[in-house]
Amino acid sequence: MGRILKSYEYEPGKIFRGYTGKSLYINVGDLRIEEKEVTQLMKDKFIGGKGFDLYYLWKAVKPETQWNDPENEIVMSCGPLGGITQYSGTGKTLVAAISPMTDIPVDSNAGGYFGPLLKFSGWDALELQGKAEQEIVVFIDGNKGLIQIETAEGLAEDSHILAEELTRKYAEDEKDMVNVSVVSAGSAARHILYGMLNFSFYDPRRKTVRFKQAARGGLGTILLDKKIKALVVRFKGINPNLNDVADIGLINKIGVKYHKEMRDLDEKQNGMRKIGTANTILVMNKYDLLPTRNFQTGGDPEAVKISPQVFIENFLTQGIHDGCWYGCTMSCAKTADHFKLLTGPYKGECVTVDGPEYECVAGLGSNLGVFDPQAILEENFYCDTYGIDLISFATCIAFIMECYQRGQISQEDMGGLDLRFGNHEAVLELMHQMSRGEGFGPMAGLGIRKLKKVFAEKFGADPQLLQDIGMESKGLEYSEYCHKESLAQQGGFALTNKGPQHDEAWLIFMDMVNNQIPSFEEKAEALHYYPMFRTWFGLMGLCKLPWNDIVPADNHLTDIPARVPEHVQNYVDIFNGVTGMQIDKAELIRQSERVYNFQRVFNLRMGSGLRQHDKPPYRSMGPVSREEYESRQDLYDKQLREKQGLDPEKMDLDEKIAVTRKYREQQFELLTDAVYKRRGWTKQGVPTLEHLAELGMDLPEVVEVVKQYL
Amino acid sequence: MKALHHKQEICDGCRECEKACSKAYFKREDRDYSAIRITNNFNTFHAVMCTQCGECINMCTANAIYRDKNDVVRIDKELCVGCLGCVGFCTELAMHYMDDLMVPFKCIACGICVKKCPEHALVILSSQA
Amino acid sequence: MIIVNTQEHPWHEGMTVQVLLDEKGYIFRHIIVRVNGEYVAEEDWARRMIRDGDDVVVLHLTAGG
Repeated sequence: MGRILKSYEYEPGKIFRGYTGKSLYINVGDLRIEEKEVTQLMKDKFIGGKGFDLYYLWKAVKPETQWNDPENEIVMSCGPLGGITQYSGTGKTLVAAISPMTDIPVDSNAGGYFGPLLKFSGWDALELQGKAEQEIVVFIDGNKGLIQIETAEGLAEDSHILAEELTRKYAEDEKDMVNVSVVSAGSAARHILYGMLNFSFYDPRRKTVRFKQAARGGLGTILLDKKIKALVVRFKGINPNLNDVADIGLINKIGVKYHKEMRDLDEKQNGMRKIGTANTILVMNKYDLLPTRNFQTGGDPEAVKISPQVFIENFLTQGIHDGCWYGCTMSCAKTADHFKLLTGPYKGECVTVDGPEYECVAGLGSNLGVFDPQAILEENFYCDTYGIDLISFATCIAFIMECYQRGQISQEDMGGLDLRFGNHEAVLELMHQMSRGEGFGPMAGLGIRKLKKVFAEKFGADPQLLQDIGMESKGLEYSEYCHKESLAQQGGFALTNKGPQHDEAWLIFMDMVNNQIPSFEEKAEALHYYPMFRTWFGLMGLCKLPWNDIVPADNHLTDIPARVPEHVQNYVDIFNGVTGMQIDKAELIRQSERVYNFQRVFNLRMGSGLRQHDKPPYRSMGPVSREEYESRQDLYDKQLREKQGLDPEKMDLDEKIAVTRKYREQQFELLTDAVYKRRGWTKQGVPTLEHLAELGMDLPEVVEVVKQYL
Repeated sequence: MKALHHKQEICDGCRECEKACSKAYFKREDRDYSAIRITNNFNTFHAVMCTQCGECINMCTANAIYRDKNDVVRIDKELCVGCLGCVGFCTELAMHYMDDLMVPFKCIACGICVKKCPEHALVILSSQA
Repeated sequence: MIIVNTQEHPWHEGMTVQVLLDEKGYIFRHIIVRVNGEYVAEEDWARRMIRDGDDVVVLHLTAGG
């Protein structure tokens, strides 16, 4: 197997202070391989990671480029801090491309070893352009300085087998398997638009390949459209200073301090080492935030059946390291080992299931009305190995289920599948149909935005209802929080660059529970600071979780505890310790603002990025249906009295729903005004020339785009 | 299980053990490079060193810590990536690092310090794990 | 009546910080409590009495996301 189509030898760039200074361009169509210099301008303005991705993507595409045009690129980069081993969460790869879901740039990040091993192999970034004639595997050997493009015949389709095959093939021996990482999608990614990318790492304790995902926005769909079956990198020789940092003593000191914090405080705080992000399921349920049955309500009494304790006691292996990159003592990548599958092509086999993460339990569980932990883990496994973006799948299927519940589509329309809320057997069968490209699978794989059109045109569904209950914005499905009572979070999802996801701002507690940011200006400040701060992780190759899923013991004494000031200082110090530069907390935000505004302008260039594109569906903002209103009647009636001076006793239900809606939609517009102003944008959401100049992002190609909208 | 034990009541705090350890492994007499550290608390001398409890084995992020045939906890220098997680997690504070080294170091119950201790305050004991 | 996170909440005899947290359903572990601006450590929640008219802040730190 594997005929070599192209072989390319290179001298790996020497890493200095976090950068190799070189990036790799591969055109899989004409098999062109080129080395590019990473310029000072790139480092100054774009920093790395997602910044480099967007820089190259901008150069690669035209305003009219579609996701499946050959010129669309998949770009990956791990950022200047990526690959250091002393601090937790330092192994992220950032990936960007023009998305099949949104037709604008999407960026998504993943753990796993690929990004750091790519950098240590000599490359600050990797561009993949063109379309191959036949399916290929791209292999990079960072020790030998060798790139090979090979044919992919005979390889398995699904990631849990494919990545194992490729890891064995390219490792020199069993001991070398930890030095190999594979990027792959899966069988369903051929048939759906929200296919995702699996990033592998070999777990020497379990002797199995495991995954983290760059899941959002259809990156796996693009990979297979380019006929790239997999990317493989091999690099042996990880040590704590491969980045050749400016001040190793500083990095070591901060690292040890942080590891001690993790040892002493994690169990008292979030228990990330025990259960990972799924620790919050019952909390979300209690605070009316756990999305249930397509975000109709914020919880269910049955949620106890999918509580963290249930997973810990019955499924998840405890007490051993579970990080997705070296040095991560947060260790939140849990697994269910020896998990026996009950359905599908691998029925009866015992597998290792990674997770479940919070989004998995909420999305594939409560939001589909499924409260069966075994079923959730099985859904999780198949999402991963088939290459399905779990969040888009979950939110999309929740939408389909509600359409069915409300009689907008019939069982026949779904090819006979009985997609009732709670019917996990039908959910799993739908996944298998996606894998086979049969039945209702490919249609359900279009995502909510396209399905709204199909359901209205083909099945006669009510377009207004579909618009109200379809939880997507910009074409991307919402992640899993029932956030309609938090105005700030409505903005946190809708006023984003790539679409509604939870990697820009999570303000629900701050806004809805703490009432800390009551005014529009305060909400706008939070919707400036947090998205900018969190963008920074994407520039650096860092994971967000170690920032605030544990906090120092004296964090409560700080001026703004929610920002976790000591950890922000850690990041400033690590950046300075790696690069030898001297930034402060203000400059950290500036670095992000440059890239954030560049991405906003990139959206404009692709025909999006205006106020009209930042609208949420009403389900995100308030009660669409009578049942939803009634489920929180006291709260909504109180708001009518207190906020609008109305007497709910004198109004009928439909009237109350309509008045509430009008008020909430107005509130969102006022929030949008305040946020745009704070971000230095016009009322239409366009970055002003003055703001771009002030940031130093008034690059000629950026100004040219912006001028068309001013 | 083989482990180094310290007899507090005999130790006079001369710190010959520290010198012997750092000299044997790092060719210098510098307690910062010693896997045993004597601390003085109002003239009672306490030794900080690995008890071979093995808590660090499962938490190691590179699967680089193991028990050898004598049940002594060892670091595989080939596998260790220098993340220092074990340094932060060791409740005995017995895992050490220096900025010029690529991997942490710890007491491996070799007995070199035992021979050098003029007061015979150190001893290697074996016990059933 | 007391104030909890800027909203009114009924007060009653024997209300400790813990009783209040239970009434509000604040089960999140990652919270900071201040009564009239004064920080109350977790080990004191069961003892610290709340008086009528007190201004209580229960800051939930963001997690997950």
